[in-house]
Amino acid sequence: MESTGAENPNRVNFSQRPVPPGMRPFTPSSPMVGSEPPVSNPLAHTIPQTFMPPLSSGPAASQAAPPGGMYPYTSMPPMSSVPYGNPRPAGTPFQRFPTPQFPPIAQASQASTLPTPTPSSFHPQPQAPFVSMGSPPQNINHAPSFANIPPPSSSPFSGPWTTSQPARPSFSGYPSKEPNMVAPTPPVQTTPFNQGGFIPNRPPVTSAPFPSYQGSHMGPPPIAASSGPYSRDQMHHQSYGPPSGTLQGLLEDFNSLTIGSVPGSLDPGLDTKSLPRPLDGDVEPKAFAEMYPMNCHSRYLRLSTNCLPTSQSLVSRWHLPLGAVVCPLAEAPVGEEVPIQNYVSTGIIRCRKCRTYVNPYVTFTDSGRKWRCNICALLNDVPGEYFAQLDASGRRIDLNERPELTKGSVEFVAPTEYMVRPPMPPVYFFLIDVSISAVQSGMLEVVAETIKSCLDNFPGSSRTQIGFITFDSTIHFYNMKSSLTQPQMLAVSDLDDIFVPLPDDLLVNLSESRAVLDAFLDSLPSMFQNNYNVESAFGPALKSAFMVMSRLGGKLLIFQSTLPSLGVGRLRLRGDDVRVYGTDKEHSLRISEDPFYKQMAADCTKYQIAINVYAMSDKYTDIASLGTLAKYTGGQVYYYPGFQSAIHKEKLKHELARDLTRETAWEAVMRIRCGKGVRFTSYHGNFMLRSTDLLALPAVDCDKAYAVQLSLEEALLTTQTVYFQIALLYTSSSGERRIRVHTAAAPVVSDLGEMYRQADTGAIVSIFCRLAIEKTLSYKLEEARNSVQQRIVKALKEYRSLYSVQHRLGGRMIYPESLRFLLIYGLALCKSIPLRGGYADAQLDERCAAGHTMMTSPVTSLLKILYPDLIRIDEYLVKSSPHEVNFNFSRLPLTADSLDSRGVYIYDDGCRFILWFGRMVSPDIAMNLLGDDFATDLSKVAIHERDNPMSKKLTKILEKLRGSDNSYYQLCHLVRQGEQPRESFLLLSNLVEDQVSGMNSYADWIMQIQRQLQ
Amino acid sequence: MGDLLVWLLFFFILIGLIGLVVFQLMCFADLEFDYINPYDSASRINKVVLPEFIIQGIFCFLCLVTGHWIMFLLSAPYLYYNVRLYTNRKHLVDVTEIFNLLSWEKKQRLFKLGYLILLLFISLFLLIWNALEDDDHDF
Repeated sequence: MESTGAENPNRVNFSQRPVPPGMRPFTPSSPMVGSEPPVSNPLAHTIPQTFMPPLSSGPAASQAAPPGGMYPYTSMPPMSSVPYGNPRPAGTPFQRFPTPQFPPIAQASQASTLPTPTPSSFHPQPQAPFVSMGSPPQNINHAPSFANIPPPSSSPFSGPWTTSQPARPSFSGYPSKEPNMVAPTPPVQTTPFNQGGFIPNRPPVTSAPFPSYQGSHMGPPPIAASSGPYSRDQMHHQSYGPPSGTLQGLLEDFNSLTIGSVPGSLDPGLDTKSLPRPLDGDVEPKAFAEMYPMNCHSRYLRLSTNCLPTSQSLVSRWHLPLGAVVCPLAEAPVGEEVPIQNYVSTGIIRCRKCRTYVNPYVTFTDSGRKWRCNICALLNDVPGEYFAQLDASGRRIDLNERPELTKGSVEFVAPTEYMVRPPMPPVYFFLIDVSISAVQSGMLEVVAETIKSCLDNFPGSSRTQIGFITFDSTIHFYNMKSSLTQPQMLAVSDLDDIFVPLPDDLLVNLSESRAVLDAFLDSLPSMFQNNYNVESAFGPALKSAFMVMSRLGGKLLIFQSTLPSLGVGRLRLRGDDVRVYGTDKEHSLRISEDPFYKQMAADCTKYQIAINVYAMSDKYTDIASLGTLAKYTGGQVYYYPGFQSAIHKEKLKHELARDLTRETAWEAVMRIRCGKGVRFTSYHGNFMLRSTDLLALPAVDCDKAYAVQLSLEEALLTTQTVYFQIALLYTSSSGERRIRVHTAAAPVVSDLGEMYRQADTGAIVSIFCRLAIEKTLSYKLEEARNSVQQRIVKALKEYRSLYSVQHRLGGRMIYPESLRFLLIYGLALCKSIPLRGGYADAQLDERCAAGHTMMTSPVTSLLKILYPDLIRIDEYLVKSSPHEVNFNFSRLPLTADSLDSRGVYIYDDGCRFILWFGRMVSPDIAMNLLGDDFATDLSKVAIHERDNPMSKKLTKILEKLRGSDNSYYQLCHLVRQGEQPRESFLLLSNLVEDQVSGMNSYADWIMQIQRQLQ
Repeated sequence: MGDLLVWLLFFFILIGLIGLVVFQLMCFADLEFDYINPYDSASRINKVVLPEFIIQGIFCFLCLVTGHWIMFLLSAPYLYYNVRLYTNRKHLVDVTEIFNLLSWEKKQRLFKLGYLILLLFISLFLLIWNALEDDDHDF
């Protein structure tokens, strides 16, 4: 995508980030720490000479900055250490401690790209800028400011320039034509602003050449102008070889799209082929993980931008969400499991003040007797049992045996003070609708069969408890005491005054009552097979389930196939009224109608009950109300519209089995701590807030993610790095109380451009998505879509304003490389089922169910839902040998143009497959895959393996695709080209790049955004 | 003399209303600082919401029947707001969303408090005025 010249500065950029690999920032335990001033002085004197200049461009610079200047902005650590008997005078800043560790790395990274600057006069310089100045980044780039450099500030630079680059022209010329030279310049540009008295600023390394460029030449039009805004396939301007290295250096900051019609042509002037598309799925920013190797993996925590803004004003100019997506129990591949540490005997090491858990970023001082909390900077005592000597470099000698000090993710076994009651056993309670529709659709049979097949695999082995209630117009309890041979059914028909008969025998131990359970599940379908009851006393049944479970908590699985019609919580067929759409009452359709559901959900969370709703009905079931139960109890909604066991059996079986057997964390609470000055303000997902920052999660598993937004509490952040710590306290299925701790660090920057460069589209889109779906609960769909669009426009406008001064942007739309997919995901979000169109574009239940799914999905699954994979498979089916399994998916753009009528395609959105047969597909393929069924109505045909190599290959492909994500079972729907309305309903309306039902195509969307940017 | 008694009654009703609003605000503050959990907080607040509305309604009614038009007009907006909240079913605190609505609920009650204190001062002033006038008549 980018030329090498363009990449270079990037690397420089990262190599200069605060914590070089393997380093521990703020390591007061390094020799410097305890050393007397005489010892540290020589070091301090020499080190800056070797590595200060390069560092001065990143946050690390200020950590390593010489004493005087840094004081006002370092948080208390250096000072507060003094009273603790540290022999070193207060004047020795603690920022210098890492220095012994720095030079090798810093130099190494520099050596490749930079001439070693030897600025003897250099190091005093950066201090001042950091203290008193700073500026909005575009100011940095203003040419005029350069002219005003006062002599004192420019003189120091002659040193580095002349010594390191003798061949280079003098300072006044500034023609730093190579991106390589970027690094030494930052101090140069910071100086002018020194006088301006701005806020602290660490200018972006990459933007450094701009001023010089502007300052010396009078700004020849940037390439775009030369190669023309009309060149149609221009995507990244690096690609058309700017004449000199300077331009490359200049332009590597952003990508651009040229928009403007080609003279004489009718089309909008946008080459649709060259638009950025996320065909590789979710791409996580890698550089950040390399920068902070001790951070937890991005599968657990993804920040929307990996650089936090230093000031409120920057936050207000960032426009995109500032926050993170947290998935505390994400599935780790084999070999990367989170290590479990048992400190029950010694107690878990935590900060006295802020209760932070010990993590890789804490620093040990005082020969290992004290440790400094990285979040609040308090100096804590190391308990005797945990004490270890420090080696010469200040690292604990037992570091390698302490995963909590080397890894970002770790689990502690919690001692009894973390329990309010003995750890609960895993409890599964089933609330099953047995009314006529449940029986006739085959739901009851599939559910009973699946539960029975999973009985051996429930987590928690011998501790697991299980219970059942079925209901139609009455509520049936089942006594399954192990002493019985057959379960006893007790029917309660008084719905107004619920009572629970035999409260002790309804919830039984799985292994003890196994025989009774088997007998029960075998007989359950036949028991109700002649049930013609159409009523559903859902509310009373839920209440009685709650009464049974409230002693222990656990997971309540609700299988509902009709609208609740009796007792409390009965719902009306309020339906999907077309007249309501577009009015102020529209949102009320998407929220719970009856306060009963909210109240029940709140009560359930209080008693540690998580509710998973399985709704299957061909009619309206009011998912909006039922989903409320899942929303506030940390549960999940599964929706099977028009459930028919013949078609949906596999899907329900797989998803229910996964729900029952996946590793689950019980009675959990989650809290996210972060450094001073930053605060998490809002949380989005399925949970209930127990206090302002404590999420109550009765049951969590790997498929749940939570989005959080943060804000700055103070106008100005004084630290260079902000740390986050996610702590999830839970009971494992094995009955152990554990704390899972994820720790991450992120640098604080004062440069908006850097924030944009370090943005993580996946996390941003995920937060956008949750915000938009929440917005549909109180506003119109239209407004939710507009808010997404407006924020994207604002962000791009802000980004544009960063560069519009240096570049004649003309009609080009520019965006940072990191956000190249933001536009398409934004469009996909507006076209996603919860947000799309109006009345006719999606059914209300589907909208709500999809909304619930998207509110819980981790980033990767969410992005797949938004921009599904489209894969052509016919060539593979025909050509390759049957044993070849390495099938390369080449994903196609999601537009009808990608569909060739001679081909067979799979559309995979993570929840279902749609197998599309072109009109002119070879009869051979059709026959092999479908046999005689091909001629019939494809809606009733299920794909199954036939005895021919082609069909076997298809099965293999489907298996492989399913294997990539287990959270849902992708049911295969078949559709033939031109088979309306199924084709448009299943596939065509989901091709997000096309113009569907009055919504923009990708090109139109870009044009529209571009117009708003002007 | 009767008028004086009415003013005294108004005064105590207003004190009572202020007490109820302050109590709700305290519950919110406790919740914010994590002294009580949202369930307790919501149930405590919801317990006094309707009494507050009813007392305020009675106050307005008393103003009306005793012919204190000014006081009635002054407290009418408050009554209207309460009635609107009640008819929209938004008068009770929602325990599931309590943290998201915290700032709004607090702001709303702070305004109520300010309004009530203003009314209190007016009624206090009128009370004393009345008392003095009564004195004037006596002599």
